[in-house]
Order: sequence, then structure tokens, then C-alpha cells
Amino acid sequence: MTETALSFELPANLAVEKFIAKLSKKTVIELALQQYSLKTFYDSFDWRLYNANLICEFNQSKNGSSLSLISSLNGKVITSTELDDVPAFASEFKDNVMANKLAMLLEVRALLPLTTVDLQIYKINILNREQKTVARLMIEQYDQLKTRLSIQAIKGYDKAYIRLSALLQDEFSLKTAEKGLLIRALKRQGRKPNDYSSKLNLKLTPEMTAAEAVRVIYKTLLKTIKLNEQGTIEDIDSEFLHDFRVAVRKTRSALSQIKAIFPDEHNAYYKEYFAWLGTITGLTRDMDVYLLSFDDYKASLPESMREDLNPLHEFLLFKQAHAQKELANHLKSKKYLTTLHDWELYLKRFIEKEDLQKNTHISIKELADSRIWKVYQQVLNDGAAINEDSPAELLHDLRKTCKKLRYLMEFFQSLYPPEKIKTLIKALKGFQEVLGNFQDYEVQEISLKQFSEEMMQQGTPSNTFLAMGVLVQGLEERRGKARHDFTGRFNDFKVPLNQKVFKFLFAHKSKGE
Amino acid sequence: MKVIATYNIKGGVGKTSTAVNLAYLAAHHGYQTLVWDLDPQGASSYYFRIKPKVKGGSKGLIAGKRELDGLIKGTDFDNLDLLPADFSFRNLDLVLDERKKPTQRLQKLLKPLADEYDFIFLDCPPNITLLSEAVFEASDILLSPLIPTTLSLRTLEQLKRFIKDNKLKHLELIPFFSMADRRKKMHREIIEHLSEEHPDVLATVIPYASDIEQMGIKRMPLAAYSKKGRSIEAYDALWQEILRRI
Ligand SMILES: Nc1ncnc2c1ncn2[C@@H]1O[C@H](COP(=O)(O)OP(=O)(O)OP(=O)(O)O)[C@@H](O)[C@H]1O
Ligand SMILES: [Mg+2]
Repeated sequence: MTETALSFELPANLAVEKFIAKLSKKTVIELALQQYSLKTFYDSFDWRLYNANLICEFNQSKNGSSLSLISSLNGKVITSTELDDVPAFASEFKDNVMANKLAMLLEVRALLPLTTVDLQIYKINILNREQKTVARLMIEQYDQLKTRLSIQAIKGYDKAYIRLSALLQDEFSLKTAEKGLLIRALKRQGRKPNDYSSKLNLKLTPEMTAAEAVRVIYKTLLKTIKLNEQGTIEDIDSEFLHDFRVAVRKTRSALSQIKAIFPDEHNAYYKEYFAWLGTITGLTRDMDVYLLSFDDYKASLPESMREDLNPLHEFLLFKQAHAQKELANHLKSKKYLTTLHDWELYLKRFIEKEDLQKNTHISIKELADSRIWKVYQQVLNDGAAINEDSPAELLHDLRKTCKKLRYLMEFFQSLYPPEKIKTLIKALKGFQEVLGNFQDYEVQEISLKQFSEEMMQQGTPSNTFLAMGVLVQGLEERRGKARHDFTGRFNDFKVPLNQKVFKFLFAHKSKGE
Repeated sequence: MKVIATYNIKGGVGKTSTAVNLAYLAAHHGYQTLVWDLDPQGASSYYFRIKPKVKGGSKGLIAGKRELDGLIKGTDFDNLDLLPADFSFRNLDLVLDERKKPTQRLQKLLKPLADEYDFIFLDCPPNITLLSEAVFEASDILLSPLIPTTLSLRTLEQLKRFIKDNKLKHLELIPFFSMADRRKKMHREIIEHLSEEHPDVLATVIPYASDIEQMGIKRMPLAAYSKKGRSIEAYDALWQEILRRI
């Protein structure tokens, strides 16, 4: 059994053949294998495997190809499977262990190739007097990266392992390899791990003027939009469009909430553009959500009805494909491209006229305090006005106000003590959940009714409509529950402790105390 | 974890060859596998080129002073480990006899390895001794090679009686023919006759073959130096038939 591998680097001036020849003078060795191989690293767009301390590599050689998950902490192979091509989604793996492990980490995200290196592999056995292998040495020789050696211990032969590592360090003066191969290979391409995250990580300082800070916010969101553009067009997985839309929505929210930085007419122009982007991406996202929920839908039905729902899946797939195609065309259109480009230039160049605006020179902290405090007050007031009999519209409006508050808090998070603001965001998130569910169930009920009308035209079997009816009924029940839960969750959100922290962070300062 | 002992009252019937070759096949198919060389002559240790030496000898081993895991050696083959023999194993019987429940000793020592191995092969010395009784307690399967001679019929019956008398209900006896020579009329006749009388004898027969005999010179399992041929096929078939039995 193999223990933790110890890795070294071969200096550039020492060729592998020469090293092997020298080594054979010091100890008895046997070249067990020498072969050319291609190694491709995989991860999701948002580095989920890397962040779980895993390296996913696909190794191809003339003997076959296999995908392995390797711990980046100790080099151990967690699981490995032989396959010819790497599927995009966890559920498409035939090997169950691999499929489950990946599903847990990747969820809905696709596996994407990051970078490929080609290498020459040498496997060398270190032998004792009986010609028994007592340690193994693997040499990986790359095209543009330093050659890497790793020793594998063999159980019960600790001394041989220690002797070999001492030999490499002392006699050959080899340095232990520091960074993983993945990082080095990425660096060659000017990339590094975690160069994308769906989380908005803004670093603002209280001294920044509002204009400076707002520019940072817009630029960061624009970057997210651009990074997700290609994956959205290609529909690699549904998260590209999701992240794209969130960044669009946040931009729009900032444009309408943080006023008097840009001239009103400019503000209005871009607000309309981002609203348009929200509209043209909406249908595809809706279809994605229905497709992602489909297994849940099915599971919520009585066993005997589940298969009857399948025509709905077909219908959704068809509609999604259609919407996706239209969306892709929009994202290649002149309107989309030129306006986005204008927006980028605008953020770079627009300075002069800013001076005329009243909020340009105030500090961002001041602006953030007052905006957050104001919207928070609105949430409290509107929430208090809702009772058991209030119409659904009031809850929908409150949901929107909460979203505004959430975005503001996320934009300006770095201006406040991290622990405190995180607790508040978490509390708000919990409250938003009940409002979101209430809305989502209603939207789904309406859509399902609409779908059934469309499906009626296509001669779908009647049992499918029966199943969809049961589904709608279930959603109605869940909506009722969410409505009922509202008061309790609102009370959780406005507990005195939260109110105190809100006041402490945002209130007194905005009044200049 | 399944414990398979290769055992026969008689010596020189192919116990070691069977343990080594089947363990290699199991490991080759991805099972975590261990061979425990219980014979002081250390034949299976020799085949894997591993020094027949155990720290603390039979005394330390049976006393359980060290965990077995610390005495295990990796072989040259993936998934395959060996617990070597030691010359002091010649007095294993005496050492066992000093313990309270001697026949349960091996089973107890093996227990901690259950998570680590799918198959453990016990390569046993011949004769019925206290050690072999401990082996019977610890094993799930008693794999018994028989050379097709009249004598082998008697030893098989002897063994069956012993298992019955000692109420070893957990133990499955699987006999098979080993070192069978097709050219010998007597071998062919005995195989035919015995298979009728004892339907539990496996259908696969390991032939008497020079490539198997060469294991002693090559010092590795047959499949590690010979990729095809009648002998390899026979061991493959034997392993598949055993897997179907268990
Ligand atoms: N099928 C075979 N064909 C030819 N020779 C064989 C075959 N099986 C085993 N041998 C040889 O016969 C001898 C005895 O075999 P092996 O050591 O496997 O038997 P054993 O039952 O373990 O013996 P012991 O009782 O001494 O432990 C060895 O020299 C071995 O190489
Ligand atoms: Mg033997």
C-alpha cells in the first residue's frame, strides 16, 4: 500500500536520463515503465474541487485513460475510474463512487478542462539484494515545467524510503517541490486558482468618495457579467446564466438606489439597458429552474403518478432549448455588445461631469450608512403593516425591498466589522427565504397552468395533466405554509438584538452623532 | 473480509503455490489482499522475495505485543501484502498451547485487519496440530489441494470427519485437484471416481506443469512472468469458481 508521496524537483541542468544513470550507481534500480502521457486538469468554473482540496486529473496514455481525484493535502488518490472521455456532469459518470463524490461537490456545475500538460513518465523500482522492490520513484518530465520526482513508500520498508529521500536530498541536492503542478501549469497561462468566484468580494474603504466606490462596484459586477457571458451562450451549465443574471440585477439595483453620482439621464439609460438584459434572460432561467426542480416535483407526487409527469420534462427541455437559442442570439447582438462596451468606457472615462452631481464627493461610508438605514426602516415598517389578511402584493413588495437591502449590505459589506454585518446578512437571508418561497410557489403554479394549456394543443396524455394538477395542489399547500410562516420569520428578523446591531452599524453615524 | 486457508494434512500438495497464485489474482482484480505465511519454512515469503523474519518471533506474535499491521510488508504487486514467516514458527504449537484459548488466538489477531483487507490467505504447514485447529477457527474457507492418488481420498475423508467431529460449522471445505498429470491413467481415473463420490470437489483441475514448477526459480507468482497458457487459465478458472462458491 502506498503512503504519502514526497516530491522533489530536478534542477534544469540535470537531464532525466543522466539522473537515472547516476542513481543506478548509488542504488540498485529497475526501470519498470517509461511512457508518454497527457494530463488534463478539470474543475468547475468556480473551483469547487480545488476549494475542497482536491485535484481532478485526466491521464491519457497508450495504455488507456483514467480520471482521478487526488487530495492536494497529501497526494493520496481518493478515487479513480477508467474512461475514454470526461463527461460534463457528475450524474453522467458510470462509476458510482466517482459520481457520488463529484455530485456532492459540483452539484449543478459542469466539469471543465482547465489546462493540459504533456509529460514523459518514468517509473523506477528501488530494489534490495533479493531484487525485491522496497520503494518506488516516479519521474514526471514536462515540456516547460521542472521535472518532478516523487517517492512512494512500500509498506514495511520505511528504512528504504528514508534512505532514498536522504539520497535525493543529500547526494543529489534536490529541493522538495513546493507548489502543485496544477498551480504551476496555470501560471504558465497567466491564470491562478479561484480567479472566479460567484461571491461579490468588494474591498472598499470608508475614505473613498462615493464616486470612487460606486465605480469599483460597477466594475466588479461588469467583470462578472463578462466572465459568465461565454458559458451562458454555450449553456455549459445553468450557473453561468444564474451568475450573469445576479450581476445584472445588482447593477440595476445599484443604479436605482445609489443616485446622484451619474447624471440622471445617463442613469436612466443604463438602467433601461440592464432591465432589458434581465428580460431577455428571464425565460431561460425560469426553464432552468423548472428543470432543476423536476426531480423534486416528481418525488412530491404519489408513486403511481410519477412517470405520468415525464411529458412535462420533454416540454420543458424543448422550451428551454428554444429560449436558450434566442438568448444566445441576444448576447451576440449589436445592442448587447455595443451598450455593454459603452458602459465599460463610461465607467473608465466619466469623471468630469460627476463633479456636478451632489453625491460625488461625500464619503461612501456616509452614503452607505444612510441608504441602508433608510431601506431597513422601510422593511420594518412594511413588515409590521402585514397581517394574516393582507393581500399577496404587500408580501411581494416587501420581498423586493428586502432584496434592495440585501444588495446594499453586500455592496458595502467591507466598510463594516465583518462579524456584525455577517450576522445581519444571515438574519436577512433567513427572512428573505420565506418571502422568496411564497413568491416562487405562486409563480410556479401560474406557469404550470400556462404550460398545461400549451401542452393541451400538443395532444399530451390526460394522465399528465392529472399529475400536474396534483403538483399544483402541492405547491399551493407549500405556499400556504410559507404565508403562515411569515409572521414568525419576520419576528425572528426584527428581534431586539438585530435591531440594536442595525442601529449601531448604520443609524447614529448617518445622523452625524 | 474473507479468510481463506490453503490446507491439507499432507505436505507437498501445492498449498503454497495455490495461496500465492490466487492471492495475486485477487489483488490483480482490485481486492485488498494479504498472504500470511504460517509455515516456518517460509515458502510464500520466498516467492515474494521477502525476508522470513518477524520481530519478536512466534512468542511476540501470539502474545499480540505488536499489532499485525506493523509486521506486514508490501509486495511488488498492487493491493497485495504479505505477513512473513519466521523460523521460530516451528514452535508455534507450543506457544499457542501456553495460552488460555489457543484455538481462538489467530482469529483474534486477525480481527483488526478486517477493514483493511478483502481477502486474507493463510498459507499453512501440513498435519493436524494445534496451529491448524486455530487456523480452522479463524478461516471462512478451507481450500484443500488434492493430488489425485488413492491416498488423497483417505486424507479428504479424514479432514471431513475432523471438521464434523469438531463442529466447525462456519468453515466451508473446498477441495480441488492439484498437480494432476493427464498422461497418468491413474490420475484421470481417480479424478473421475472422486468427483462422483464427492460432488463438492471443484471442477477446475490444476495441472502438473513446468511453468508452475518454475515459480521457485522466478520467485514470483505465475501470472507475473507468464501471461498465457494452460496453467494461467487453470488458476483463473479456479479463482472464478471459488468466487462463485463464496
Ligand atoms: N501444478 C504444479 N505443477 C508442477 N509443480 C508444482 C505444481 N504445484 C506445485 N508444484 C511444485 O511442487 C512443490 C510443492 O508445492 P507447494 O510448495 O506449493 O506445496 P505445499 O503443499 O505448500 O508444500 P509444503 O507442504 O512443503 O508446504 C514445489 O516445488 C512447487 O514448485
Ligand atoms: Mg507450503
